[in-house]
Amino acid sequence: MVRNRKTFSTIFNAAIFIVLEVAALGMLRSNGILQDSWVMKGAHAFYAYVWGKTESIKYYFSLQKENARLAEENFNLACKLRDCGNGIAECNALQSGAAHEADSASVAEDSTGRYIYRQAEIVKISNNRQHNYIIVDKGSEDGVTPQSGIITGQGVIGIIDAVSRHYSYGISFKNTGMTVSARIGKTGPVGSLVWDGANTDGALLNEIPHHIGIESGDTVYTSGFSSIFPPDIPLGTTGESRIINGATYEIKVRLFEDFKALRYVTIVQNAGKDEISDLVSKQ
Amino acid sequence: MKANQNFSAIYILLAIAQMVICNYFRISPYISVTVLPAMVLCIPLKINTMASMLIAFGTGLAVDFLAEGIIGLNTLALVPVALIRQPLLKAIMGDEISDKGNPFNSRSASIWKTLLAVTVVYMVFLSIYILADGSGVRPFWFNAARFAASLACDGILALLVIHVLNPNDR
Repeated sequence: MVRNRKTFSTIFNAAIFIVLEVAALGMLRSNGILQDSWVMKGAHAFYAYVWGKTESIKYYFSLQKENARLAEENFNLACKLRDCGNGIAECNALQSGAAHEADSASVAEDSTGRYIYRQAEIVKISNNRQHNYIIVDKGSEDGVTPQSGIITGQGVIGIIDAVSRHYSYGISFKNTGMTVSARIGKTGPVGSLVWDGANTDGALLNEIPHHIGIESGDTVYTSGFSSIFPPDIPLGTTGESRIINGATYEIKVRLFEDFKALRYVTIVQNAGKDEISDLVSKQ
Repeated sequence: MKANQNFSAIYILLAIAQMVICNYFRISPYISVTVLPAMVLCIPLKINTMASMLIAFGTGLAVDFLAEGIIGLNTLALVPVALIRQPLLKAIMGDEISDKGNPFNSRSASIWKTLLAVTVVYMVFLSIYILADGSGVRPFWFNAARFAASLACDGILALLVIHVLNPNDR
């Protein structure tokens, strides 16, 4: 009780002190030109400090929004880059009505019309299992269908396996059963890339004919031969290699993408996938 | 009761003396003659911090209004003296002095302790006073010289004021 009274008394004294000093400063300011500019200078320095700190705090809490904006910008730039690669300058960004209403999500189609890209954010991801998964915040209402690819500018992330109204479940590339058709360089031999099951950034490129000279440090890209992933997405760089059964190389690949730092991805859908599947099933 | 009346009367007379000093005794630009911090230091300890801050504010304001100078300057510098008065005296003299509630005087404390208390309150007062008076336009060496000269001059004057404000000392 005594302590509370003492605390209250201290706070009260401090308040009175501040009031009296502010009053004195006010009088000083209105009665001396130099003092006026001095007080204002001090006040401005104080305001600048407080505003600066407030802005820093505000900026910190707005980082999520800023990240989303950057991801969207990145998505649009990636879209333009893909079209430039195809020799066409303009990128046809199509705002899908449903997706736009739902979450203002960007949907774009490349200039060939073969692939449709959707920006998405990872809701949940597992990295420490042998069979990892990803859940993204776009579902059937956003136009996502199963067997769509999940990519970033630095690699293949997975394949959509199941879709609900607002979310999609994908199988991560870090799954010992998942393979991606990959090529060494943009015109080199094609093999299948599979996660090595041990390292977070390690993969193995198999089925590369042994008569082809392999240089360590070559970039590995998607081949575009699968009906899921578009060609020329950089995946990683080659490392050590060894010959398997005297016939093909098994090459270690160091992946570009850091799966542990993932947040924004692009869902890619092959517009002609059903047609290709029908054609294959007829044969 | 009589002692209180005496104290109040002498306090008011000293405030008037301060106004006269401010108006007519300008020894040097390096010396600011003031007895106000010593007066505030001598306010009886039974008067709490809040009341002593209000007294200091009133005293400073009266001197500012009636003496030549910038209104608010003495007020600005004197209120912090009232704020630190009790904790300072407790720290220097111990709890005994505040328990008795007597005015601070050279009988209740040794001359060195008195001098220490006077030095601290004058340092606080002069720092704020010189800083606000100069408003950042005067060079540092001028402010430092003014601070040192005023502290030396006012310190001696303060001992006299403390003696005058405590009739029991005489």
